[in-house]
Amino acid sequence: MTKKKLLLNIFGPILSVVVLLGLWQAIVVWGNVAPYIAPKPWDAIRAVTSNWSTLAPLTWWTIKETIYGYLVGAFLGAFLGVVLNKIPLMQRVLYPLLILTQAIPIIALAPPLVMILGFGVMPKVVIVAWIVFFPVTVSVLDGLNHVDKDLMTLAKVFGANSMRRFVVLEMPAAITQLFSGLKIGATYAVTGAIIGELAASSGSSLALYQRSASGSLDAAGVYGTTLLMTAIGIIWFLLVVGAEYLATPWQRRSTARQWRRGAKPVLTNN
Amino acid sequence: MKRNFLSISVAGAVMALSSITVLSASTLASASTLTAVKFVYDFPGPDMEIIPVVVAEKEGFFKANGLNVSVEFPPSTSSTTQLLTTGSGDIGFITTSDMAVAVEAKAPVISVANYSMTNNWGLFAKPGSTLTLAGLKGKKIFSWGDTWTNAMIPFVLKKAHLKASDITIVTGSNDTPLLMKGTIDFTTSTTNYAIPGITEATKSAPVGIVGAAAGVPNVPVWVYAVTHNYANQHGKNVRGFLKAIKAATIWASQHKAKAVADFMAAYPKSGYSKFYSTKGWALTVPLLTNAAGKYFVQTNKQWTTLATALKSVNLIKSVPAPSTYYTNKFLP
Amino acid sequence: MSSSSILELRGISKTFASTTALSPLDLDIERGSFVSIVGPSGCGKSTLFNILSGLIQPDNGSISLEDQNVIGATGHVGYMLQKDLLVPWRTVLGNITLGARLKGKVGPEDKEQAMGFAQKYGLGEFLHHYPSALSGGMRQRVALMRTLATNHQLLLLDEPFGALDAQTRFEMQQWLLQVWRDTQRTVLFITHDVDEAVFLSDRVLVMSPRPGRVVDDLRVDLPRPRTLDTLVSPAFTDLKSRVLHQLHRERGA
Repeated sequence: MTKKKLLLNIFGPILSVVVLLGLWQAIVVWGNVAPYIAPKPWDAIRAVTSNWSTLAPLTWWTIKETIYGYLVGAFLGAFLGVVLNKIPLMQRVLYPLLILTQAIPIIALAPPLVMILGFGVMPKVVIVAWIVFFPVTVSVLDGLNHVDKDLMTLAKVFGANSMRRFVVLEMPAAITQLFSGLKIGATYAVTGAIIGELAASSGSSLALYQRSASGSLDAAGVYGTTLLMTAIGIIWFLLVVGAEYLATPWQRRSTARQWRRGAKPVLTNN
Repeated sequence: MKRNFLSISVAGAVMALSSITVLSASTLASASTLTAVKFVYDFPGPDMEIIPVVVAEKEGFFKANGLNVSVEFPPSTSSTTQLLTTGSGDIGFITTSDMAVAVEAKAPVISVANYSMTNNWGLFAKPGSTLTLAGLKGKKIFSWGDTWTNAMIPFVLKKAHLKASDITIVTGSNDTPLLMKGTIDFTTSTTNYAIPGITEATKSAPVGIVGAAAGVPNVPVWVYAVTHNYANQHGKNVRGFLKAIKAATIWASQHKAKAVADFMAAYPKSGYSKFYSTKGWALTVPLLTNAAGKYFVQTNKQWTTLATALKSVNLIKSVPAPSTYYTNKFLP
Repeated sequence: MSSSSILELRGISKTFASTTALSPLDLDIERGSFVSIVGPSGCGKSTLFNILSGLIQPDNGSISLEDQNVIGATGHVGYMLQKDLLVPWRTVLGNITLGARLKGKVGPEDKEQAMGFAQKYGLGEFLHHYPSALSGGMRQRVALMRTLATNHQLLLLDEPFGALDAQTRFEMQQWLLQVWRDTQRTVLFITHDVDEAVFLSDRVLVMSPRPGRVVDDLRVDLPRPRTLDTLVSPAFTDLKSRVLHQLHRERGA
């Protein structure tokens, strides 16, 4: 990556966020919007920082729900993708079911889940996993279905058994697709956690904090909590992008990183 | 205080649409000569407390007062005052605690009439269980997470000599199934919602501690409110609205079955059974008049009591003059 | 079996549905020789390669590779296609050692051998490059190194240079001859290009379709090493003309 490109990659997003906040400020100030309808951006941010001691544990809970659910969803999704690819019968039996799971409005799913799993972290984890697994399954399936047939033939000629072909060729070949599913899942994950929190929580939660802020006409609190939820989503997305960057160096680099090269090359002439 | 928060917010959109069709059908002919008024309910979906508005429409009381009233449902509880200030609604149905919080936030709204006259809020449990203030320690208590419940719970704790950490508050969208399953010990609600709901599920009446027995201030729970602007510029509409509502309320108190039928016809998909709405409305009617048998009348005392109570539990910071909250000048 | 033969086919035939892809074929390939197969599509040359590599079973006949019956068994030959089939997530070194990885772990001796090949044949600088950073010619070199690294005596090369431009192609042909001479492997080489077949080979087999069979078997006795001069020598032109006539006759018939 050139230096110019790097600067653009860092300052581009910052600039767009600044412009967005500026636009928000302008609308609130020039539109004479009352503070109980919509706050100025800075007031929303301050609503978070000045209540941080209350919000921190709630945020931590939401993060935990998001991450646990995401991991369960990602592993389950990838597993299902492989099963569907390897067992063609499953594709006919399971695929309609998978579509069905996504057709159920998640908001309708939350209350019965709470009924079954209680008020703790479990129903939220299930909801997040429920949302996350589908794009992962679809992308893994897509990735596996598009592995070069000639490459698989070549591997057969080389005498590789199906297990080795899967591990050495199919799995890495599907990894770029896998990450596109993981990225979509990452943007949705927090939403799932928040829906779960709204359905029922013991004690407090970010979603309920927001609801009671809304009840107190504390728009700064409502917008601030929204910013906080968004930040969790964005940070998680960026972490997934970072993982992709590390896991798929061939997409951006021309040479392997030093630590991936294994033993130092011993050059011999023969 | 009302059930199915989440599912109703989805249903709310459907309701809002169907309500427009229902109400506009009867008013189409003379719509041009009538004044349009947007009424905003306190909850994302309709329930039996909206019966006065439904009856005023169905039985022609609005029309007789020159009004064409459309009903809107807010996207969430406690957002009705915001809809009024943005002009999305003209006349709102809110809790008195919503009103106090709005004034605290300097939202220019004012209460124009009481809906109910007494505090019928309290704690409820499954039929046959023991419910005493002394026995609350260590129990799981359901809350709707709304401002009213947040305001009331500290009073219960005070009366029971408990700290907030002595109980577990579980917040959710539907209490009855949790109560049936035993995942919560008690729920919080008002008599006109809790009794029909639990009775419907268990075939017998719940046990409850209500009002003064629960330690809560005796103040009205619901009021009709408008913005200062609307009050100043459209006082005639407010007066006409309350006149129609009063006539409809009296009519609905005398013809309870027909009133419930009107509600069921206007909102066939409200999610509430005829049993629930009939029982709920029967329990609501006695709440609507004061000791002198009068509708709507607000007093300095009720608002001072409420504001003092809310300040004592830190929901508001100061107690303003009661006239900041209300006016009786539009009463019919 | 003559001691100099590495590969011996007896009565190999294959029919798909009602089409005879390969009519009974006898063939002996000398150890260390370079044999090209030319012929129009449908002449059975791909079927022959698939049978030799063990991907499909012949209907009849026997195959003996280094005195072993290898019918229906894979893992006995080196194989390379027009598509380089390099895996984008492995470096040059990783691609050359792919055969070892597909059969188990890549050991130090596999790495050492791969690095030796890469050093010797102009890829030393690129050991840790990903394929996306390489030109088409270099990618084909890596693909051939990968084929060599499987350490099979017999290499089946199916139009490996078909996708390269003329200039690169000629360089690659000379390079291939160098590698072949150094490593003493036996090469079976499919091509559409008669010049290429004659230039590279000790022997050219001309095949013809419907049914797929060998219609001519020419010895190419041009002196080695072969250079640009070879291409314009009368002997080369004679051989080329014989192959072309043979192909043309078959098509006309």
